[in-house]
Amino acid sequence: MTPKSYTDVSDQQVVVFAQEGREDAYRELIKRYERPVFSLIYRMVRDKETAEDLAQETFIKVLNNIDRYRPEFKFSSWLFKIANNITIDHLRRRQVDTISIEGAPDAVTAERARATAVTITSGTESPLEELESRELGAQIESAIAKLRPEYRACIILRHVEDYSYDEIAEIVKLPLGTVKTYIHRARQELREYLGDLK
Amino acid sequence: MIEHDFPEEFVPIAAELQRLPYLSPSRDFADRVIAGIDRLQPARGAAPAVASRHLELHQGGRQAVVPRRKIGLVRATTKTAAVVGLVAVAAFMFLEIDVLTAILSAAVTQYGFVLAAVGAQAGAMVLGPSTIAYLQSGALEAVLLYLTLAVGMIGGYAAIRTAAHIAKAKAA
Repeated sequence: MTPKSYTDVSDQQVVVFAQEGREDAYRELIKRYERPVFSLIYRMVRDKETAEDLAQETFIKVLNNIDRYRPEFKFSSWLFKIANNITIDHLRRRQVDTISIEGAPDAVTAERARATAVTITSGTESPLEELESRELGAQIESAIAKLRPEYRACIILRHVEDYSYDEIAEIVKLPLGTVKTYIHRARQELREYLGDLK
Repeated sequence: MIEHDFPEEFVPIAAELQRLPYLSPSRDFADRVIAGIDRLQPARGAAPAVASRHLELHQGGRQAVVPRRKIGLVRATTKTAAVVGLVAVAAFMFLEIDVLTAILSAAVTQYGFVLAAVGAQAGAMVLGPSTIAYLQSGALEAVLLYLTLAVGMIGGYAAIRTAAHIAKAKAA
């Protein structure tokens, strides 16, 4: 049986349809997770084009291996795990350093910075609130960018994606104690960088 | 909502982290992903099956479509050479006809004449009939001309080789 809409269908059920080769199921999985995955990767690599390429690689890898998905795990955890692996591999290869949401680290010209910057939009705030929020958001983004990539992934998964420590340990393939240490140190560093944040 | 397992000073930062917006990839992101999924691209990489298959009868009277086996070029050449060799040996042994010798002598006679004719024609086209006539007169200048041509050809060949070598080195 095929659903007309996937709105109330769980990830696991959509995956079953995808395993049957249904393109609309693949598109539904992409639709559900393209923004969280892209956001996580972007906040780690700080370059829009690179983040798109890595997010694309992540989805292609996951969806080409959809038959290997084990339903006892959350689909999103599996997806984030692949995204994290691909991103960490990329960072190790490139030794990319951070830094600004205004553009890629290698953006030496204003044109390049504009091309690689990400536009953040919000539909509910007033222009002043939006401006304040953007400034605050930019400070947070900038502070996250200063963290080590391993800390970045852990703190984003914990505080942006609301994953438990156990789930994060599974996603980043690190012992639970290491994950807790990383998150503790990341919080300390963020407090140092954002000391005057009220 | 996650449980608070961090100090009070981190609360405003945690709140801001939770407020961070999701960022969106390009609009055609999903299409690009779909284009990269193998099982949704049946035509890509599939062999033109209809053009290269034939029916084969299997045990039990069932028919199945199977790919036609390809005959390798080396295998075909070997087979042909073996057949020709066997025919030649049989002809020599039983009919006392040395087919190979006959073929070779015929080829030398025939093609030697053809090669001489083609060479003379090509020489006349390149050098012109007057030069040919001059060369045929046996003058001393003709010898010098031959030498000049030979030196020129060797020099030209050497120059081309050198230029190619330099270009290769630069490309590397």
